[in-house]
Amino acid sequence: MTSAVLDDPMTQFTNEPVRELRRAPERARLEEALAELDRRLPIAVPVTIGARVRDEPSFDSVDPSDPGRIVARATAATSREVEGAVRVAAEAQREWGARPAIERARAMSRAAGELRERRAELAALAVRECAKPWSQADADVCEAIDFLEFYARGALALDAASPLIQMPGERNTLRHRARGVAAVIAPWNFPLAILAGMTAAALVTGNAVCVKPAEQSPACGLAVVEALRQGGVPDGVIALLPGDGAVGGALVEDPAVHTIAFTGSGAVGLEILRKAASPAAGQRHLKRVIAEMGGKNCVIVDADADLDEVIPALLDSAFAFAGQKCSAASRTLVHERIADELLDRMRGALHTLRVGPAEDFETDVPPVIDPDARARIESALADLGPGSEIERAAVPAGPGYWVAPTIVAGAPADSGVVTSELFGPVLTIEPVAGVDAACEIVDGLGQALTGGLFSRDPATIERVAARTPVGNFYVNRATTGAMPGRQPFGGNRLSGMGFKAGGDEYLLQFVDALVITENTVRHGLPIE
Amino acid sequence: MEVQAEPELDADIAEIGRSLARRGHSAAALKRVPQERGLNLVGRDPKVRAALLQLVDVAPACENAADLAGHLNSYLGQVGDSGGRPVAIAAGAARVPGTRALTGQAARVAINRMAHRFIVGATPEQAAGELRLMWSHGNAISVDLLGEATLTEAEGAAYADRCDRALSTLALDARGWRANPLLESDAAGPLPRANLSVKVTALTPLVRPQAPGRGQRDAAEHLRRLLRTAAEAGAHLHVDMESMDSREMVFEMLLSILAEDEFRSGPSAGLVLQAYLRDSEEMLDEIIGWASRTERASPLTVRLVKGAYWDQEHIEAIQHGWVPPVWSEKADSDRCFERITRRLIDAFPLVRPAIASHNLRSLAHAIAYSRHRLLGIGDLELQVLRGLGDDLAEALARDGYRARVYSPVGDLVSGMAYLVRRLLENTSNDSFLADRAAGADLDSLLASP
Ligand SMILES: Cc1cc2nc3c(=O)[nH]c(=O)nc-3n(C[C@H](O)[C@H](O)[C@H](O)COP(=O)(O)OP(=O)(O)OC[C@H]3O[C@@H](n4cnc5c(N)ncnc54)[C@H](O)[C@@H]3O)c2cc1C
Repeated sequence: MTSAVLDDPMTQFTNEPVRELRRAPERARLEEALAELDRRLPIAVPVTIGARVRDEPSFDSVDPSDPGRIVARATAATSREVEGAVRVAAEAQREWGARPAIERARAMSRAAGELRERRAELAALAVRECAKPWSQADADVCEAIDFLEFYARGALALDAASPLIQMPGERNTLRHRARGVAAVIAPWNFPLAILAGMTAAALVTGNAVCVKPAEQSPACGLAVVEALRQGGVPDGVIALLPGDGAVGGALVEDPAVHTIAFTGSGAVGLEILRKAASPAAGQRHLKRVIAEMGGKNCVIVDADADLDEVIPALLDSAFAFAGQKCSAASRTLVHERIADELLDRMRGALHTLRVGPAEDFETDVPPVIDPDARARIESALADLGPGSEIERAAVPAGPGYWVAPTIVAGAPADSGVVTSELFGPVLTIEPVAGVDAACEIVDGLGQALTGGLFSRDPATIERVAARTPVGNFYVNRATTGAMPGRQPFGGNRLSGMGFKAGGDEYLLQFVDALVITENTVRHGLPIE
Repeated sequence: MEVQAEPELDADIAEIGRSLARRGHSAAALKRVPQERGLNLVGRDPKVRAALLQLVDVAPACENAADLAGHLNSYLGQVGDSGGRPVAIAAGAARVPGTRALTGQAARVAINRMAHRFIVGATPEQAAGELRLMWSHGNAISVDLLGEATLTEAEGAAYADRCDRALSTLALDARGWRANPLLESDAAGPLPRANLSVKVTALTPLVRPQAPGRGQRDAAEHLRRLLRTAAEAGAHLHVDMESMDSREMVFEMLLSILAEDEFRSGPSAGLVLQAYLRDSEEMLDEIIGWASRTERASPLTVRLVKGAYWDQEHIEAIQHGWVPPVWSEKADSDRCFERITRRLIDAFPLVRPAIASHNLRSLAHAIAYSRHRLLGIGDLELQVLRGLGDDLAEALARDGYRARVYSPVGDLVSGMAYLVRRLLENTSNDSFLADRAAGADLDSLLASP
C-alpha cells in the first residue's frame, strides 16, 4: 500500500477505503494477519516517556471473546511518572510548537502511512483486544488514518488563514499557537481511531501529548503512539501512560496540562470538568476540556416508513459491536399505527443475530468489553418490572463476555433501560402517537448525541430536523458510522462539549489565538 | 482481447432487428401505447421522475387516499416550477382539503394500473388465466413471486412455502395448456412448461456479504426442497442473481447443490450471469468448467442479463472507495453481453443459453450469431420482462423464436420495490427502451456497441 504523504500538502482529503470483505481473498488476508498476531501475543505495553521506557507489567488486557487469552501486559504509570511525563512534554513542546505547520502535518501524514502499512495487523489487534468484529475493526483503523490525514490538512488551512479586515495604515494578523501540553484520555470502543484523532489534533497544532489509553486497550494505544513516533513526532512530544482512572485523574489535575481531550462516560466527563475548572496554586492558565460523553439515542419511525429498510438499520444501529458505540441506537419511538408490526418483525429478526467471537466472520454481535459491562447491562434488565416484554437472542457457550441482544417493549418510562445509556445490545421499542410526540420525548432528554428518523415525507424530515436537539441526525439509515470529513461527529447538551471531531473547527480547541495589530504609519507616512 | 462480431453478422443483425421492431397490431399491443406515452412524459424531467418514483414507493404504506395526497404534495413541492402545468395542477389539488382525497384516489388508481402492467396477478391462482393466455400467444413463461424483504426465519420459510405451492399450482395449470413444440423442447431435450424464478435472499434472512456460509446453510434446505418439488412436478427452477452482496453465496450454493447426486436426474435448473460485472467472463469460465465436470440429465440454463442493480453497485462502491464491480460505461456492458452471448451459444448444449434483454441489438445479435453457428431456431431462448418487453415477446413469437416472459406475481405492497426498479429502468438515461421511446433512429440503435 502506498502512503499518501503530504508531498503536495493540498491534495484533497479522501477517506481511507474500508476493505471489501464480501470478497473471499480480503477475508483470508485478515485471517492470516490474526494468526500472525496471535503468535506475538502478549504484547508488552510499557510506560514510555521521552526515550525512557519502563516495562514492569502490572495489568493485562484480555480478549473479551476468550478472556483466557492475554493480549497485552501493560505497565501502569505511577503518579510520579505522570508528573514527569508532563514535565518532559512541556519542555519538548517548545521546539515542536515552533516548527512550521507543514512539518507537523507531514509527520501526521507519515504516521497515517505507517498505519496503512499495518492495516491488517491493527485490525486484528482491535479484534483481539476489544472484540471488534472484523468490519468494525477494519473501519477503526481506517478512521484512525482518516483523522491523521484530515487534521494534517486542517492544520495547514488553519495556519494559512488570515480572515481579518485590513485598513490602510494598520496590519492585522491572526495567529494560532499551541496551548501547551494536552492530556488525551481515550476510550476502548474505538481504540485506534478516537485515540489517534484526539492525539493527532493536539500534535498537529503544536502541542505535546500525554496519552492515556483505556485500560482495556493499551496495545492499541501503543500502536498509535509507535506510528506517530515513526512518522516523525519526537519522543519527548508524545508520552504513553497506560493505566486506569488514577492515571487519568493525575493528568487532569496536573497544573502543567493545558488541554484535556476526553471521550468516555458522562460521569467521568463531568468529574473532569469539575476538576479542570479550579486552577491549582500557581497555575497560570485555564484548562480547556473537550469531552465527548455518549448519548441515549432515539430512532423515530413514522407510519410511512418502509420496515424492510427500518429493521436492518435498527439491528445494525443497536447491536453491531454489541451496542458499544456512543452513536448506537437505544430507543425506538415508533408510530403506533405500525408499532405492532415493527415489534413483531424485530423480534423475529433479533433471532437472526449470531452472538460469537469477534474473529469469526459469521458473528453479528461480539461479546461486551468486560465483566463489569456485562453486569451493568444485565442488572438494568433485571430491574425491569413485570410489565415489560423482553425478547433475547441466544448466546453461545464458552467464556466470552456474552450479552444476549435484547429488545424491550413496555419498559416503564423511569426504568434504567429507558433513561440511562447502557452501552450494550439493548433496544427499546416504544409506540408513540406520532412524530411530534416522539420529538417531545427526544426534546425532554438530557443527552443529545445522535438521532434517527425513518420517514418518506420530505416535509416530516425537515420538520424533525429543524427541532431535533442532537448533534448528528441520520435520516433513513443507520445512526452509526460517522466518517471524518463526511460526518463531523459530536453531541449537544449533556452529551459533550466542544466542536465536532472530524470537522473543520475541531483543531481550534487545541490552539490559542493571537491577534497582532500593527500601526504601519509613521509621521503620516505608510511604512509598509 | 476484444473479439468483434464477425462483419457478416452485422447485416443479419440489422435485418433481424428491423423485423423485431415492427410493432404488432394485437389488441394488447394497442392498449399499451397510451401507457407508454404516460411513462415517457414522466421520464423527461428528472425531478418529476423522482417525485413519481417516491410516490409509487410510498403508496402501500399510506393509510388512506388523503395520506397519499399529502405525500404527493410533499414530493411535488420539491419539483418546483420545472414540472410545468400538469404538476402545478396536481400540486394544487393535493393541497386543498376538498380535493385532497380525490387526488389521492386518482393517484392510487393510476399506480394500480401501472403496477398491473408489470405484475401478472396477486397470486399464482389469480395469474393463471393471464399466463395461459400468454402461452397461447406463443410465449413461454417464468413466474417470479414478489415479496417483501426476508428479515426473519419465519419470513424465509413462508416464502419457501409460497414457492413450493406455486411450483405445484403452475405445473398443474400448465398441463392444460395447448401443445407448442417450440416452447417445449430444444436439441438438448424437453423443456418444462412450468418455470419458476426464485431469489435466494428471499429464502433466508442470513445474507451476510462477509459470511456467505451463513446464508448458504440456511437457504440450502429450502432450495433442496424446491428442487425436489420441481423435479416431481416436472418444472424448471431458476435462481435469479441479485447484488454483489449475495453473489458468492448464491453462486457457490447453487452449483454445489445441483451437483449433488440427488439432483443429477433433475429438475431442469438455471442461474443468471450479469454481464455488467467486470468479472462476468471469469464467472462464465467457472460455469462452463462446472458444467463440463458435472453430469446432469438436463443442461444448466444460463440466463444472460446485463444486471439490474447498476446504480446500487456503483453508488455503494464509490461511497466505500472501492473499484466498482460493474463497468462504468454502458457500452462496456453491451459489448461484454455480446462476448458472453457468443460463448454461451458456442457452449450449447453443454449449457442452454437464455438471452434476456429488451435491447433489440442485444437480442438480434444473439439470434444472428446462433444462426451463424447453425443452431436450430429453438436452441436459443430469448427472455423479456413482463411490462417492459411485451411488444418484443409478441414480435419474437411472431418471427418464430422462443421467448420467455418473466412474469412477477404478487400484491402491490410486496411488488413495490420491483415496480420502482422497473420504472427506474424504463426512464433511466442509459437505457435502450428510453432511447427508443425518445425516438432514436433504428439504425443507430442496432449498431454495434
Ligand atoms: C427475463 C429477464 C430476467 C432478468 N433477471 C435478472 C436477474 O436475475 N438479475 C439481474 O440483475 N437482472 C435481471 N434482469 C434485468 C436485466 O439485468 C437488465 O436490468 C434489464 O434487462 C435491462 O437491460 P437491457 O439489456 O434490457 O437494456 P439496455 O438498455 O440495453 O441496458 C441497460 C442496462 O445496462 C447496464 N448499464 C446501464 N448504465 C450503465 C453504465 N453506465 N455502465 C455500465 N453498464 C450500464 C445496466 O445493467 C442496465 O440495466 C432480467 C431481465 C430480463 C429481461
